[in-house]
Amino acid sequence: MTILGIPALTFITFFPLAGLLAVLFIPGRRAGAIRIAANILAGLEFLATLALLLRFNAASGEMQFVERADWIRAVGAQYLMGIDGISLLLILLTSLLTFVATLSSWKAIADRVKEYYAFLLLLEVGMIGVFVSLDLVLFYVFWEVMLVPMYFLIGVWGGERRLYAAIKFFLYTLFGSVVMLVGILMLYSHYHTFDLTAMLAAGSPLPLVLQSWVFLAFFLGFAIKVPMFPFHTWLPDAHVEAPTAGSVILAGVLLKMGTYGFVRFSLPLFPEASRRFVPLIVALALISIVYGALVSLMQKDMKKLIAYSSVSHMGFVMLGLFTFSPLAVKGAILQMINHGISTGALFLIVGVVYERRHTRLISEFGGLASRLPVYAAVFLIMALSSIGLPGLNGFVGEFMILMGTWNTNWIWAAVAATGIVLGAAYMLWLYQRVMFGRLENPANQSLRDLSVREFATFLPLIVLAFWIGVYPKPFLTLIDKPVEKILRIVNPEAFPAAAAPSPRPGGLPARPEAPAEVR
Amino acid sequence: MEQSSVLSGLRYLVPEVALLGAAAAALFTHIFLPRRGRRAAGLVSLAGYLAVAGLVLVSPRSAGELYSGSLAVDGFALYFKLSFLLAAALATVLAFRFFDVEGSEPGEAYYLVPLTVVGMMVAVSSVDLITTYVAFELFAIPSYVLAGIFKKDRRSAEAGVKYFFLGTLSSGVMLLGMALVFGLTGETQYASIGAALKGADSPLAMAAMVLFLAGLLFKAAMVPFHMWAPDVYEGAPTPLVVFLSTAPKAAVFALTVRLIAGPFGPFEAHWTPVFQSIAVLTMFWGNIAALAQKNLKRLMAYSSIAHAGYLAIGLAAWGEMARWAIQFYVIVYVIMNAAAFGLAQLVRKGDTFGENVDDLAGLVRRSPLAAASILVLLLSLTGIPPTAGFMGKYFLFAAAVGKGMPLLALAGALNSVISLFYYFRIGKAVFLDEGPAAAERSSSPLLVLAAAALALLVLGVAPSLVGSFAVAAGLGK
Repeated sequence: MTILGIPALTFITFFPLAGLLAVLFIPGRRAGAIRIAANILAGLEFLATLALLLRFNAASGEMQFVERADWIRAVGAQYLMGIDGISLLLILLTSLLTFVATLSSWKAIADRVKEYYAFLLLLEVGMIGVFVSLDLVLFYVFWEVMLVPMYFLIGVWGGERRLYAAIKFFLYTLFGSVVMLVGILMLYSHYHTFDLTAMLAAGSPLPLVLQSWVFLAFFLGFAIKVPMFPFHTWLPDAHVEAPTAGSVILAGVLLKMGTYGFVRFSLPLFPEASRRFVPLIVALALISIVYGALVSLMQKDMKKLIAYSSVSHMGFVMLGLFTFSPLAVKGAILQMINHGISTGALFLIVGVVYERRHTRLISEFGGLASRLPVYAAVFLIMALSSIGLPGLNGFVGEFMILMGTWNTNWIWAAVAATGIVLGAAYMLWLYQRVMFGRLENPANQSLRDLSVREFATFLPLIVLAFWIGVYPKPFLTLIDKPVEKILRIVNPEAFPAAAAPSPRPGGLPARPEAPAEVR
Repeated sequence: MEQSSVLSGLRYLVPEVALLGAAAAALFTHIFLPRRGRRAAGLVSLAGYLAVAGLVLVSPRSAGELYSGSLAVDGFALYFKLSFLLAAALATVLAFRFFDVEGSEPGEAYYLVPLTVVGMMVAVSSVDLITTYVAFELFAIPSYVLAGIFKKDRRSAEAGVKYFFLGTLSSGVMLLGMALVFGLTGETQYASIGAALKGADSPLAMAAMVLFLAGLLFKAAMVPFHMWAPDVYEGAPTPLVVFLSTAPKAAVFALTVRLIAGPFGPFEAHWTPVFQSIAVLTMFWGNIAALAQKNLKRLMAYSSIAHAGYLAIGLAAWGEMARWAIQFYVIVYVIMNAAAFGLAQLVRKGDTFGENVDDLAGLVRRSPLAAASILVLLLSLTGIPPTAGFMGKYFLFAAAVGKGMPLLALAGALNSVISLFYYFRIGKAVFLDEGPAAAERSSSPLLVLAAAALALLVLGVAPSLVGSFAVAAGLGK
C-alpha cells in the first residue's frame, strides 16, 4: 500500500517530520499560523493512519505492509517495517492522541510556540517509528529519538521543578535503553540478524542462560518505560511537571512502549525466559497495582494522583501479559488502548482547570459541578472509564485480564481485584472532592465551562470510551490473530490441539476457549 | 638500496611531499608577505590540506614493501591520513576567527600544523621501529610548540611546557620499549618482529610491549596516563586544541592497531585484558571527572578522554569489525571534537570568548541555528540516535559483544548515560536557561558547528557513507 506514492509505513512515520520542517519555515512570531499548521498536520497524520485500515487484513496474524531495504550493510541492519493488528491499534492511538495533544495546547502554550510544535511532531515520528520497526536497530533508533523531544517538552514548558523532572526522565529511560542495546547486540551474536521476523523464523531459540540475560536486559529497558515498581520513580515527577499535552502523550503512548516491547519482543523472542521470570514479573505487577492505587489515594495534587494511577493500571497490563492466557493478553492489549484514552483524557481534564486556576491542588476546588456542568459530565465519564464501569472501555479490558488471570491463578486475580476497588475509591473520592459539595472557594466562582475547542479535544476520546465499552469486537478482531501467533510461541499449551505434532494439512482445530467478547 | 627504487617509492609519498611543500609555502608566505601575511599563510595551509586530501584519495597503494619494508601505504593508512587532514582543516578554519579576536595571530601555527600532519601521515604508514619513532617525534615536537604558541599568555605557555615535559618522557618510555623489542628480536620491521616474538612471551617481552604501549597511550591521554590532558587542553589556544585533541589521538590509535595486529599479535591473550581495563578506567574516569567541570574546554578535555576510552573498546575487542569500528569512530570523533571545542569560541564575552558552560545560557533565543546544531552535537557526543556518535559507539559495542565481551559493551553503554548528565548541562544552558548568549553571525565557529552537526546527522542516518570506506580500508589492503 502506498500513500501519495510513498510506501504507507514510511509515509506515516515521516509525514510528521516533513510537517515539522514546514513548520520551521513559518516565522516564529506568527504563533497563530504555527498552531493552525501543526493542528492540520497532526490531523492529516491521523487520517493517514486511519487509511491503513482500508487495506489491512485483520484475519491475518502476519506482518503487513512490509517494507524492506538495506540500511547499514556492514552490520546487517535493515530498514524493515511492518505492522500487525497490535501495532496498528497503537499507531492509531498515537496519531489520535498527538492530534488531541496539539488541539489541547492551543491556549496553554504561549512561549516558544514553534519549538513546541516541532518537538511534538518529532515525538510523533519516534512513537510511530517504534510501532512500525521490525529491525531491532531501527527500533532502537526510534526508541531513543523519542527521548529528546520529551525532555524538552518537560524541560521548557513544564512546571516549577521541570529541569529536575526532565533530566530525571532522560537519565532513567536512557539507562534502561542502553542496557537494552547491549541485549540487542547479544541477540545479534546469536542470530546474526536484527530482523525480528527472521529471528522468529530461525527456529533456534537462544540457550536458556543467554536468553535469561537478554530477557533481563530488555526487561530493564521496558520496565522503566512501563513503569513497573520499583522503576517508576521518574513517572510522578515527569507527569506532574510536564505540560498537559506532554502528560497526555507520556501516559497515553510512551508508557505503552514498554508493554508493547514485552509483547513484540520479549514474549516471542525469549519464551522460556519469559516463563521463568513469571513469578518476578507478576509479583512486581501486583505490587504496582496495589502500591500505585494506595499512593494515589493520598495525593493532594490531581495530576500526581492520576500519575500514580497509571502505575496501577499499567500493572494490570503487565499482569495480563504474563499470564500468557489468550483472553488476558488480549485484555491487556485492549487495556493499553483504554488507558491511553481514559488517562489521556484525565490529564486533559486536569489541564482544563489548571489553565484556568494555575493550581492542581484538590483542596483548592470543590463544587465545580454546579458551575461547570459540561466539564463535570466529561470528568465523570472518564473517571468511570478509568474505574472500569461496565459499558465503558475500562471494564472490558480489566474484565478480560481478570478472567484470564483467574483461570491461571486465582490468588493473582484476587490481589489484582483489590486494585480495582482501590481504583474506584481514589477516583470517586477525587471526583467528589473536586466536583461535589458547595462551591466555596471564591476563585472558582467565575470559572468558565469547556469551550467548543476543549470539548472537541474530548469528543473522540468519549466516543471511543463508549465504543470500546459497548462493542469492543472490531478492536479485538484486530489483535486476535497476532496474539495467537505470539502465544503459540510462549505458551503453546493455551492451544492444545495445535501444539500436538500431528501435521494435518488444512485442518487447524477450533480454538478451545470462547472469547468473552462474542457473548 | 637502488636509486630507482627510492624514486619509484616516492610515488606513494606524493601526499606527504605535497603537504611538506604546502608547509614551506605557508612559511615563506608568512615571512615574505609584509601585511596580512599571516592570514595568507593560513589560507595557503588550508588550500594545502584540501589538495593533499585529493592526492590521498587517488594515491596508489602498497601493502608494505616500500623502502625495504619500512612503509605501508595501505587503505588503513590512507584512511587515517584523511582524518588528520580533516582535523587540521577544521582547526585552521576555527583559528582564523580565534586569532582575530585574540588580536594576535601566530603565523607559525600555519606551518607547524601541516608539519605535524606530515609526521602523522608517515607514522600511520610506518611498519618499522625506526620509521615509527622518527615519524612519531616528527609530529610530537611541533605539537608541543603549538600548545605553547602564545608565549606571553601564561596558561598557553604552561600548557606548552607541561605537554613538552610529559610528552618527551613518554617518547623516552616508548623508545625504551622499542629498544627492548629490538634487543629481543634483532629486527626492526614489524613483520619480522611478529614472527620472532611468536611463542616468546617472556617477562622481558612483556616489559617491552608494556613500555611501548604506555608511550603510545600517554599520547592518547588514556587513564592512567591522562593527567596532562585537561591542563593542556584548557590552556592551549582553542583551535589548536581542536587539532591536538584529535589528530595525535587518531595517529596513536592507528599505530597501536598496527602493533597489535602485527608484532604484538602473538600476545593477544596478554594485551586484551590490559585494553579492557584501560577502556573501562578511561571511560569512567573521563566521564566522572567531566561531571564537575564548568569550563567548556576542561569539560571537553575530560570528555575527549572518555571518548578515547570508547575507542579502546575496539582495541580490547580486536578483530575485523573492531578495526573498522575504530576507524569509523575516529572520523566521528574528529568532527565531534572540533565542534565541541569550537563551542568555547562561539559566544563573545567582552573582548574574548565565553569559555564557560554558563556563557551559553539562553543561546536558543538569539541563535536558533547554533542551538539546533549544539543539540545534534550533544546527542552525538552522548551516543543517542539518529547521530553518528550513536552509530560509532554502536559499532564498537557490537564488536565487543561479538568477541564475547558483553560486560565491556555494558560499561560503555552505562558511560553514555553518565555523560548525558554533563553534556546536557550544556543543553540546559542553551535551551532552558535564560541569558544573553548570542552566537556571532556567519563566523567560522558557527560555520564549523553547523557543518559538523549536519555531517553527524547524515552519518547517523546513513553511516555507510563513511562506514563502507572504513570497512574497505583494511590493513595491507
